[in-house]
Amino acid sequence: MDEERVSAVIIGVLMALFGLIGIFLAAGARDIEMSIFGFSLAGFAIAFIFGLLRSHYDMIEARTGEEGR
Amino acid sequence: MAFRHEVLEKNAFLLLVAALVTVAIGGMVEIIPQFFIENTIEPVKGVRPYSPLELAGRNIYIREGCYLCHSQQIRALRDEVERYGHYSLAAESMYDHPFQWGSKRIGPDLARVGGKYSNDWHYAHLRNPQSVVPESLMPSYAFLEERPLDYAHIADDLITNRKVGVPYSDEDVKNAIADLEAQADPNADHTALLKRYPKAVIVPKNGQTISEMDALVAYLQMLGTLVDFKDVPEESLDR
Amino acid sequence: MSAAATASLAPVEYNDDVVRKFVIATVFWGVVGFLVGVFIAAELAWPSFNFWAPYLNFGRLRPVHTSGVIFAFGGSALIGTSFYVVQRTCRARLFGGKALADFIFWGYQFFIVMAALSYVLGFSKSREYSEPEWHLILWLVIIWVAYLVAFVGTLVRRAEPHIYVANWFYLSFILTIAMLVIVNNLAIPVSVFAAKSYSLFAGAQDALVQWWYGHNAVGFFLTAGFLGMMYYFIPKAAGRPVYSYRLSIIHFWSLIFIYIWAGPHHLHWTALPDWTQTMGEAFSVMLWMPSWGGMINGLMTLSGAWDKLRTDPGLRFSVTAVGFYGMSTFEGPVMSVRTVNALSHYTDWTIGHVHSGALGWVAFITFGALYYLVPALWGKTEMYSRRLIAWHYWISTLGIVLYITSMWVAGIMEGLMWRAYDAQGFLQYSFIDSVVAVHPLMVVRLVGGIFFLTGALIMVYNMVMTVRRAPAGALAAATPLAVGD
Repeated sequence: MDEERVSAVIIGVLMALFGLIGIFLAAGARDIEMSIFGFSLAGFAIAFIFGLLRSHYDMIEARTGEEGR
Repeated sequence: MAFRHEVLEKNAFLLLVAALVTVAIGGMVEIIPQFFIENTIEPVKGVRPYSPLELAGRNIYIREGCYLCHSQQIRALRDEVERYGHYSLAAESMYDHPFQWGSKRIGPDLARVGGKYSNDWHYAHLRNPQSVVPESLMPSYAFLEERPLDYAHIADDLITNRKVGVPYSDEDVKNAIADLEAQADPNADHTALLKRYPKAVIVPKNGQTISEMDALVAYLQMLGTLVDFKDVPEESLDR
Repeated sequence: MSAAATASLAPVEYNDDVVRKFVIATVFWGVVGFLVGVFIAAELAWPSFNFWAPYLNFGRLRPVHTSGVIFAFGGSALIGTSFYVVQRTCRARLFGGKALADFIFWGYQFFIVMAALSYVLGFSKSREYSEPEWHLILWLVIIWVAYLVAFVGTLVRRAEPHIYVANWFYLSFILTIAMLVIVNNLAIPVSVFAAKSYSLFAGAQDALVQWWYGHNAVGFFLTAGFLGMMYYFIPKAAGRPVYSYRLSIIHFWSLIFIYIWAGPHHLHWTALPDWTQTMGEAFSVMLWMPSWGGMINGLMTLSGAWDKLRTDPGLRFSVTAVGFYGMSTFEGPVMSVRTVNALSHYTDWTIGHVHSGALGWVAFITFGALYYLVPALWGKTEMYSRRLIAWHYWISTLGIVLYITSMWVAGIMEGLMWRAYDAQGFLQYSFIDSVVAVHPLMVVRLVGGIFFLTGALIMVYNMVMTVRRAPAGALAAATPLAVGD
């Protein structure tokens, strides 16, 4: 369980960092590719962090469900 | 036998290090000497960095994936030399970051295409290849003529090339835009341009602004023209 | 087996979720990659297929095809199977938890989509099989490091004393690809905000670095990685241990040592120094031996179980794959001999050679693994339809045969026409004559490609039906994979 949590936190922080980099790349982009990449990276990071949050609550729910039984 | 393979099978890090060392050797032995052995690149006269317009054209050549159908490397074989011209020298691509030798000829080799055809031929061919070579498989590149060349940052391209070893002078960088515009304007004064970039080919600029096609033609027209083989004694090319 | 190991025999909860995702991605990208291949094959038969310039022009789509089949289809298959194999042969859950595994999966898919999009938009470094611009390569390196961490982490916490042979191959594949990608993509960007960079190397040196990469992308991505797949799924499906443990050791170390030297055979007769070409040729010929060592080890694993080929059409794919592997690793050394290369280089023979390896070996060994994995991962007793597997098998085999024979003929014809002289001592043909002459063969190749794509679509249908309709239950016949002990 610990491994899951540590991993989610590290990956989550990294993804937030990547998302931020993405926004900066998109903002300064000189060409269409860099702006598409920047925005996509930011969007990808947001979607991924939502996924992490969802699986975090899924896990809590699964555990309380087991205890309830 | 003192060494047992089991040792590697039971230790992930030993296995990792042993595998990494094993795969690193070959590349190091073959690649590193290329940078030190002086006869990797023959001493020949005439090779110069690309003019700003040629460099921009080269980037379009790369962008469109021309290298996937056209090689730029004439091999030292009789029929190739007769078909395309003197075999390619390493010196001729010494400023090519990256190289464009290619690996497949769906179309002919372009290493010495410069000067073989007129500018008009190139424009017609790029617009509609089948109009000049009916059986050609080449797609149309007419769109290049409608796109204005984006050269606002061309000096940065020269500076970056300088960082990787191309000897552009401060003068070259400072005049990058002026040189680029001069090369696409037959009525301009070309003295400074031709002093910096001898043998650069002036392209007509058919539209209002400099198009991507102008840049590409300027690049194609200089390919393989820099070395004058009359000045190169054959013995000096022995490798 | 030690007492400690026996004690830990309690079932490990494997991360199969990420493997399932990679299996789906493999199938999806396989179809996409084959489809783009068929389309660009049509462009080479009839140029009017380049109808939406510049986006659908051959020059922009070919990298979509090559990256699509190598990195999207092959890469997804390799990462997915390596996660399946490393967990089971180590009896340990994948290191790094669900978050790391998902990061590797989605990050890799993100790389694929962004790379394909960038090629179509006209951004390319023009390094074959390594076209993405610098920012995408950096992203790939991040994903790759995460992959290495997950894989090695799992190896480190294994419950088995020995690291199984398949994992040696997977490990060398991950390490070497990291080394190759980093060195080959050394470049300086024009600006951090521009998707344009200039290679650190120039001309002849650049060519050598690129083909050191290019050849070993074949050697380590398309060979070592898929050999890892062979060393797990063939013994598993055949219910036999690997034929020879000793042979696998010799084969492994000699293969990874020799492969890396062979790159210069892509540059015969060019401006690359002669000594380097000679070295490349010599090692390419030597490479034949370890390659066939692997083939023999794969094929002989079936001794005593050959009857399974009649009853298990999935295994038929794996075994045919090993046969094609043997064939193309013989053809490769032949083509690397300079006198042969003088004829074959720049022609369609090379394209045929690549595809006998890519379709016959890489895709077939993957199909074999997929037909094993899909029922295993979705809790089914077997695939929905064996007949459809057999159809897939025969239609793709026919496709490959059409493809490689037409490319042999086309390539040799091109090579001979380019060097033909007439009675007066002049070159007999103009370049365009050779283009016209091979046109019918381009059409045959296209038909071969369509056959192969059709086979893949049959597989997709069969897999969808397996997940939806096939009876649930444990997969039959699981047999131990003994190594060393």
